[in-house]
Amino acid sequence: MDALILEAVTKRFGRFTAVDGFSLRVAPGQVLGFLGPNGAGKTTTLRMVMSIIVPDSGRVEVLGHPDAAQVKDRIGYLPEERGLYRKMTVLETLRYFGRLKGLRGAALHERVDAYLERVGLADWRRKRVEALSKGMSQKLQFVTAILHEPELVILDEPFSGLDPLNVDMLERLLQDLRRRGTTVVFSTHQMNQAERLCDRIVLINRGRKVIEGTVSEVRARFATRFVVLDGEGDLDSLRSIPGIARAQVTAGHARLELADGTDPHSVLRSALERMRVARFEVQRPDLQEIFVRLVSGSPTADREAESV
Amino acid sequence: MDKILAVAQREFLATVRTKAFLLSVVLLPGLIVGAIYGTHWAQRRAEQEKLPDRHIAVIDYTGQLFADLAAQVLVFNQQRPNQRIELEQIPPHMFDEDALRNRVVRGELYAYLVFAADTIEGDGGCTLARRDKVLEVGRRLEQMINEAVATVRLRSAGIDPTTIAAARRPVPLREVEAQTGQAVTSNITARALTPFAFMFLMFMGTFGISQGLLTSVIEEKSNRVIEVLLSAVSPVQLMAGKILGTAFVGFLLLAVWGAVGFGSAQRYNVADLVSVHRLVLALLYFVPGFLLLAALLAGIGSACNELKDAQSMVFPLSLVTVIPMVFWFYISENPSSVISIVLSFIPPITPFIMILRICADPDTPIWQIAGTLVVLWISVLCAMWAAGKVFRVGVLMYGKPPSLRELIRWVRLA
Repeated sequence: MDALILEAVTKRFGRFTAVDGFSLRVAPGQVLGFLGPNGAGKTTTLRMVMSIIVPDSGRVEVLGHPDAAQVKDRIGYLPEERGLYRKMTVLETLRYFGRLKGLRGAALHERVDAYLERVGLADWRRKRVEALSKGMSQKLQFVTAILHEPELVILDEPFSGLDPLNVDMLERLLQDLRRRGTTVVFSTHQMNQAERLCDRIVLINRGRKVIEGTVSEVRARFATRFVVLDGEGDLDSLRSIPGIARAQVTAGHARLELADGTDPHSVLRSALERMRVARFEVQRPDLQEIFVRLVSGSPTADREAESV
Repeated sequence: MDKILAVAQREFLATVRTKAFLLSVVLLPGLIVGAIYGTHWAQRRAEQEKLPDRHIAVIDYTGQLFADLAAQVLVFNQQRPNQRIELEQIPPHMFDEDALRNRVVRGELYAYLVFAADTIEGDGGCTLARRDKVLEVGRRLEQMINEAVATVRLRSAGIDPTTIAAARRPVPLREVEAQTGQAVTSNITARALTPFAFMFLMFMGTFGISQGLLTSVIEEKSNRVIEVLLSAVSPVQLMAGKILGTAFVGFLLLAVWGAVGFGSAQRYNVADLVSVHRLVLALLYFVPGFLLLAALLAGIGSACNELKDAQSMVFPLSLVTVIPMVFWFYISENPSSVISIVLSFIPPITPFIMILRICADPDTPIWQIAGTLVVLWISVLCAMWAAGKVFRVGVLMYGKPPSLRELIRWVRLA
């Protein structure tokens, strides 16, 4: 049974369609990266998953229930808009949210102490939240979301605003969750993180799914999109090499976009017949580039999205 | 249920720990006691203060009044040895009004007083020109002048003024409670102000404390805790917990004040003013009164993002709650008038009006107490229902606060 199922979910705010017929399945234990530019509909989707807002149409199923409210204690949620009570101490904050998530008594206290130790906030337990640095309060906020060791964790932009050290720590916490078999859905702008942490990624733009798959699937799909050649000779003739979809040629430099299924190696062989090659490079776009290209809305991107 | 209690507990602790709460527990009853006894004390202090003698020039065209006025002043000076009045008689033929006026302005004289020739027989009266407008001194001077004139008139009518004074001496009046026969407290100020004190404390315990709910909902929205909370509890649980928590704050406040009031009333022999009966009724009205305001304010708070938006939405409610403040004296003097009865059936102000009436009239009909409580509880249920709906929509709404019409639509839709 999938931990999370969205079927043709749509949400409109007035005349603006925030999420448009979006479908998604997340298997238990998977880490899913939810990618997309600002305003793509990520937060709206995650809020619908959390039953904070209700979709206009479509179906949501969370841990086998149609309403996340019924399984609140089995879900951890870190909203994009975060905040804590400024006047409460670190310890009080964790105990309060732990209790709201159904933890009680000695178990709650032990769990809180263990997590404080783990994220390095043990010395700050008696301090008020307002006295914490931004990074510390982010960590604290993250712990409030996972303290009850939920089966499903929804994180909306968990890395935004963290310095590299804290990003590192958070990534370790995420890896822990993954090892424990927790299903994780997190949204992010940062593709390199998604590449490192996710089993699968889904890219959303203007409320619609653009691409979905495992990281390697997506990468493979786009892995050899470009070759770059520097050298002397008849560079214009490179255009006639079979399997080249498009070419940008300037004096001594060519950038070739490969059609689907073209082997870069054969392109190099053909190029050697036409010119003296000083440099040959296969550009492997990272998710960042794929993301930028798909989102910037080129027509090819749309076509490819459907075929993946 | 445990979640509601958890929310309530946090809300309670968060409020009770603020300085504002501590101040309101200590300061407000202090202010009320201060208002009652402080001015009294200051008045007595002022009477004993050493002031320069007040010189008054007297021009007596009747030729008969000065001696009696001097006798009155003598008595006054014995009562107020630190604030003496000195009279200086100026014969009418030396009367120069401009010169006297100058002396008053320069401060040599406190006042000059001219008795016209027909002051005793006719209605000519006298003229008094004073340097200042101090009420107390003016009142005492007027008294002394009238006493002096009356004494002269009585004497010329052949009546001994001491006979009249003896006949007019006041009867000591001892008021007792009709049912118990116990002496009713004789402290007029305390008696008159008790209904107001009850009402005011009720007001602070309900409106004052539930205002905190408004700010805490808005705070949760503005510092974005709300979404984390809603991932753990439902909006209705959140609202219920918050209302419950603040209700206990209000209850604590009332309990402290009630205990202090009860204790000090026992101690200063005015026990009938703060009776158990009154305290119990106060509690009966406090609970629904608080819940009603709390529901309204939680609903409004959830719909707004900034305190100033919320304040403008609360304004009509504040306007209604001013009614008891304006009418308190009328109601405590006329507890059974039609206006008082009608006002007691207006839900948000029912507790205030009823506590005024109960303090003023121990025989407030039981049907009115029962009736107002029923109306109050019904409106509590309605307000809770509507607020719950608004709360569900409102807590996640950011941006422009809704108009009243939109609010009504939320209630209908949600």
